[in-house]
Amino acid sequence: MAIAIEPGRTFAAATSSAVVAKSSTLWHAYTAVFAAACVMVGVYWDISWHMSIGRDTFWTPAHLVIQAGGLIAGLSSGYVALKTTFRGSEVERNSTVAFWGFRAPLGAWICIWGCGAMLTSAPFDNWWHNAYGLDVKIVSPPHVILALGIYAIVVGALLLTLAEQNRAEGESRRKIALALAATGGLFIMNFALFLTEFSERRGMHSAFFYGVIAATFPFGLTSMARAIKLRWPATAAATSYTLVMIALMWIVEAFPATPKLGPIYQHITHMVALSFPLLIIAPAVAIDVVLRRAGDRYGVTALAPVIALVFLLAFVAVQWPFATFLVYSPIAQGPIFNADNFVYWMNPTYEALTRRFDPTPPNAWPLAARLAVVFAVATGSSFLGLRWGQWMTRVRR
Amino acid sequence: MKKFSGVAFAIVVSLIATAHVGSPNVLFDGLAGPYPVRVIVRPPDVVPGLAEVIVRVDAADVNHVTLRPVFWRAGASGAPKGDEASRVPGKDRFYTGQLWLMSRGSYSVYVTLAGARGSGTAIVPVNAFATGRLDLPPALGAILVVLGVLLVAGLLTIVRAAAGDSLVPAGQPVDAPARRRANRVMVIAAPVIALAVLGGAKWWNAVDGDYRRTMYRAPSAVPRISVDSTHRTLRLIVRDTAQFRAIFSPVVPDHGKMMHLFLVSTSGMQVFSHLHPIEADSLQFVTELPWAPAGRYLLFGDITLENGMSLTVSDRVDIPAAPGSVVQSDPDDSWDRTVSVTPLAPGAVRSLADGYTLAWAGIATPIESGQPTDLRFVVRDSAGSPVPLHPYLGMAGHAVVLRHDASVFVHLHPMGTIASVSQQVFALRDRGDTTAGGRLQVNDLRPDSMPAMSMSGELSFPYEFPKPGRYRLWVQVKPSQHVLTGVFDVDVR
Repeated sequence: MAIAIEPGRTFAAATSSAVVAKSSTLWHAYTAVFAAACVMVGVYWDISWHMSIGRDTFWTPAHLVIQAGGLIAGLSSGYVALKTTFRGSEVERNSTVAFWGFRAPLGAWICIWGCGAMLTSAPFDNWWHNAYGLDVKIVSPPHVILALGIYAIVVGALLLTLAEQNRAEGESRRKIALALAATGGLFIMNFALFLTEFSERRGMHSAFFYGVIAATFPFGLTSMARAIKLRWPATAAATSYTLVMIALMWIVEAFPATPKLGPIYQHITHMVALSFPLLIIAPAVAIDVVLRRAGDRYGVTALAPVIALVFLLAFVAVQWPFATFLVYSPIAQGPIFNADNFVYWMNPTYEALTRRFDPTPPNAWPLAARLAVVFAVATGSSFLGLRWGQWMTRVRR
Repeated sequence: MKKFSGVAFAIVVSLIATAHVGSPNVLFDGLAGPYPVRVIVRPPDVVPGLAEVIVRVDAADVNHVTLRPVFWRAGASGAPKGDEASRVPGKDRFYTGQLWLMSRGSYSVYVTLAGARGSGTAIVPVNAFATGRLDLPPALGAILVVLGVLLVAGLLTIVRAAAGDSLVPAGQPVDAPARRRANRVMVIAAPVIALAVLGGAKWWNAVDGDYRRTMYRAPSAVPRISVDSTHRTLRLIVRDTAQFRAIFSPVVPDHGKMMHLFLVSTSGMQVFSHLHPIEADSLQFVTELPWAPAGRYLLFGDITLENGMSLTVSDRVDIPAAPGSVVQSDPDDSWDRTVSVTPLAPGAVRSLADGYTLAWAGIATPIESGQPTDLRFVVRDSAGSPVPLHPYLGMAGHAVVLRHDASVFVHLHPMGTIASVSQQVFALRDRGDTTAGGRLQVNDLRPDSMPAMSMSGELSFPYEFPKPGRYRLWVQVKPSQHVLTGVFDVDVR
């Protein structure tokens, strides 16, 4: 497979050489996607474990799946880096990026970095538990390092797949784009999981909730809309997120479980799954429509506020009434919509709070000001997403 | 004696206290159904954290020992299924286990023994508070710094590659403009990443600050003394500290008393009083000071709350001279003035009043800190025979342990370090007489909580000295109509 690039060869010829080389790297992209899926499934499982059983060790199945994902991504990428650096052909080396004298695709380095961040977080998190208590909060400094590692694994898988997609043509490109959409779903799922504490049902009629969503999901959806070469790219990624979340929710809650920690205020008999996924399919469809209509006529700065507005209108239009359904309807209580997913430590006082929406705080800013803030946040998020998406379309290595 | 000067007490009283002062471990000697048992609970320094539980079963026919952490607010029905304790290798009757205490507040460890005579449960109350702060070990800190530097350097390299190499089509050389662009982006990213790292450090400091703020602080006790011709009255106002709220529920009587107040003179610990203030108003305790000579005193007040939590408040107080004859306000008040102290050693015998003696009957070897020990004594009459004891506040005896620097204070009974009323409120909670936000039926509390207790004159106080040093030990018994106090010094290795 080693093809020497001769001086003076055309860009097209060089590109086609890289296409020839793709068969030797596609396995790595798919391995990274598998690793990212392991990590995300493991994270979901682990959160559910903490909501249901509580007590854990380093060796719980959920932890093992997360660690396996991290190691698969890190080790496979490390192998690719060593092989490319020491045994790779010149074409292979010239299809990669340099990193401290070694060579590998950009996504591989991000996976290795993610694996390193996950490993770093382990002793830090262990000490943190001993110093400040076991997992008092999901969002803590060592968990942020772990989350950065997990993000990196998913982003690494995304970039490896993206580079393959960007190099491929025809039907093979469509197949890789579908894999990319699946990975994009994991990328979006990452935001959703990390924001679990800030996106409770009872807050879904508040500006704070929409502000939190506006800060993250427009970024995820617009970047995927730009990067994935499908007719409905953001919709495909959002669908992937939704299907994975629903599948995990229905599977996880089917397993029996009882808490092994106390105090227990909810006498649960099965695993408690995370809440029904956010209805981001609607804004994803809207974003796809807007971007397709806009074509190449508008710049990022002009598009960002339009996408922010479209995102917010479409999301509020579906999520607001759906939240009403989840909070008030008895049909929502049960395995399908899972609106009674109370963690074992939720005391009756707090449970009562989940049966209604949070009232607006008395010292809240005026509605117009809160809406303006949410819109500004969504605009910034869209802007960054568009820029990052543009960059992703250009990634070749 | 002189070396126990008042200076030593200057460092004293604001030290961390829970049910006692500087002595967080819990020991219980008693029954679990038909089985005699000793339970030691070593609570964690941080909560949520792991408590270590050691059970010594004083019966041969026990097969299983299970441990459950019961949080008062949730009751036993809100506790997880018990964990089987494992046998300690080489020690047939010792079992051990670890329990997660997940919430701050009042817990009990339910120790259930099952054997040939059925099963029985002992309730061992434990306070769960954050009392310590763990420093980052230097080695771990160094490892984290190295890994952090690698991660930051790696991230910068990735940013540079993302802006440079990765955008060059495969096979094309990376030209100078692409390199310059990559370097420019990296230079822009560096301060952003540095800010993120600094933000993370600031966040960590904020978490640490919050943690320190919510660490346990004993409620404050503000003493005020008023004197007139026939009264010398101490009014003690107990308040939560500004930043830590420990007193969630009302005070309940333990051994029939709302507070057990101990006064120890700072000049050589020569004067000791055991008083029982009444609760004149919510958290305002009032007692007469009948005997104490004028001087500076250390003050330790034990209270138990309706939720089973036991707390010790402490302070120093300057007591003025009594104007005349002051009458004690509670018939169970007692005191002692020590002119000499008996070292606790094999054969040590302390003469009490009325011809009685209190003889040390414990181990011959020096007592070691961190190890459970039995402080055993025998009360004898003038003929040298052990004498049956009258109950004093429902117990065969009381012991007070005070380290010479006053960094450790504990009030012991033959049943151990716990307040018996705490056991009762947990039992009542399970029976349904209380609710999480409701009121305890105080009438159900029994001042005489250990009807099966031996009153033979042979006493044993289980205790685990928390650290080496010299301790003063006051042992109070009632062989006749009077409460008699023996005073010992014990050196703990």
